[in-house]
Amino acid sequence: MRGRPNLYINYKKETAILSTNTQKIWFVFMIVFSIAMVFIATDYWILLLTTAFLIAVASWGLNIVSGFAGQISLAHGVFVGIGTYTGAVLGGVATDYVVGYELDMIIWLPLSGLFASLLGLLIAPIAVRLKGLNLGLVTLALVFIGSHLFSNLKTFTGGAGLGRKTAKVVLFGFQFDDGFNIGNVILEKNQLLYLFSLLVCILCGLGVKNITRSKTGRAYSAIRDRDIAAEAIGINLFKFKSSAFALSSFYAGIAGSLLFTVSGGVEPGTFNLLYSITFVAIVIIGGVGTVLGPLFGALFFSLLPGTIQTVIHSLENFGQGFALSSGQIERVIFGLFIIIFLIFEPRGLWGIWFRLRNYFKAWPFSY
Amino acid sequence: MNNLVFENVSLKFGGITAINNVSFEVIPGRLFAIIGPNGAGKTSIFNCISGIYRPTEGQIKFGDNHLNLLRPDEIANLGIARTFQNIELFENMTVLDNILIGAHRHLDYGPISSLIFSKKVRNIEVEARKRAEDIIDFLEIEQFRYSYIMSLPYGVQKRVELGRALAMDPEILLLDEPAAGMNNEETEDIARFIIDIHEEMKKTIILVDHDMNMVMDIAQEVMVLNFGEKLAQDEPKKIVTNEKVINAYLGGGS
Repeated sequence: MRGRPNLYINYKKETAILSTNTQKIWFVFMIVFSIAMVFIATDYWILLLTTAFLIAVASWGLNIVSGFAGQISLAHGVFVGIGTYTGAVLGGVATDYVVGYELDMIIWLPLSGLFASLLGLLIAPIAVRLKGLNLGLVTLALVFIGSHLFSNLKTFTGGAGLGRKTAKVVLFGFQFDDGFNIGNVILEKNQLLYLFSLLVCILCGLGVKNITRSKTGRAYSAIRDRDIAAEAIGINLFKFKSSAFALSSFYAGIAGSLLFTVSGGVEPGTFNLLYSITFVAIVIIGGVGTVLGPLFGALFFSLLPGTIQTVIHSLENFGQGFALSSGQIERVIFGLFIIIFLIFEPRGLWGIWFRLRNYFKAWPFSY
Repeated sequence: MNNLVFENVSLKFGGITAINNVSFEVIPGRLFAIIGPNGAGKTSIFNCISGIYRPTEGQIKFGDNHLNLLRPDEIANLGIARTFQNIELFENMTVLDNILIGAHRHLDYGPISSLIFSKKVRNIEVEARKRAEDIIDFLEIEQFRYSYIMSLPYGVQKRVELGRALAMDPEILLLDEPAAGMNNEETEDIARFIIDIHEEMKKTIILVDHDMNMVMDIAQEVMVLNFGEKLAQDEPKKIVTNEKVINAYLGGGS
């Protein structure tokens, strides 16, 4: 088979996650590059990248339920919140006004996902009866119920305005706070958390890819495209819509429980409507219903503040600053990008990447 | 192998009676055709069988199963596959995926196994792919394997829908106007596929179509409907000479 390296010779090879050598090389390269970032990047960028990886995990969750299974969910942020607080209660330190059990991460991380997915299952019966925007409205109601509960269940969340500390990151008795020495290089908490988030992100990403290449992913797409035909083929709508919501919330829960350990504290007001909408925006900008899209979207969303600040700082050298703060500029630009993508590139960043890739695949022959 | 039995089935939408007290039986291995003018209730009968509509009165039995008590997916899992009059394929998926999804009920693993994609799942997927390729081969749609449904011509889409139903490996295949909107050549192709499915794959087929040449050629038994009522049920030869059928549908010779 020399000379035809990309020829599939069996179905096993074709269904593989990385089916060509180019993909394998890039995959390994990206992982090595991401790990190398620990030693190269400044703390600020490490922080942004860690959030990006975790937000990618949460966005993958939303993409499963909305992108693949076609069920609009505006309440994704609530499930992220549920994951955050499950993690914080199980792994956090108790104080006078909040509970905390100081458990190991190996316990609270899966449980945060599982608890969120249990609550996700509760929406599933509604999703079986409602479609499209009506379902969207119901999930919208969930956002308000969620923020109300988060603000008022003070023993768990610390209450509005105050908040609480998140889970302590302790894995198998190893404290992330202590840092880790490799030779004479010391990896601090941020860097360890970055590496751990990278691992979680890779595992969750592989999970999404696995879903798309299996029966479950096909059933989701079938439900999205034509639910009546899907049912006539033998797909149990209740079962698959439920599993879509459960999986989606599981991802949200996992991401949520880790997301705020980066800063160490969380305030209930975070999980408002805007927070949930952000995930919708990330999925749209990244590429709805694609595997890599949410990762692109999350990187874009998280790295935007850093980029804008860098640009503004360099502009300030010219004397006058802007009338808007960098936070405001960031929001304006982000909003602008949503509009631009919806109009010009509905397939999102993934669509751009797809066209670029195909261009270079055929290069220098454009046809 | 199970008999499909209609016992005094009626279907009413408010004041409109779509099916009026229709009884018939399809024995295994038959190629059974249902014909009749527009609005006669042919598709309504299909929708009752596959559980999309619930009959207002009467019983539909498939072996020992009462179909009027089951959900569409449960009915499909008994081995009743159907195609639709207006193609109901999944447009945002490839031909291959559409056919693979037909095999959904035969792939025995759940969502969590999908997430992990264990060796067992991979083997099941590879097996499913082999069977899907057989169907693609049978329907002669190899060159469209990786094409998205929305980019395909109508005739090919009809074939893919037949393939999706075949992938379910059903006992009974309900074909709702498989030759609608086709030219002579395409109709011949479809007729050939239907005969092959019936004779080689030994499937029971219930066929609805307006192409009288094709129906009379290939069907073993024909039932004629008019305004939701059953006019006649007989061999094709006798149907063509049936007085009532000629008046209602076929039209008299000059």
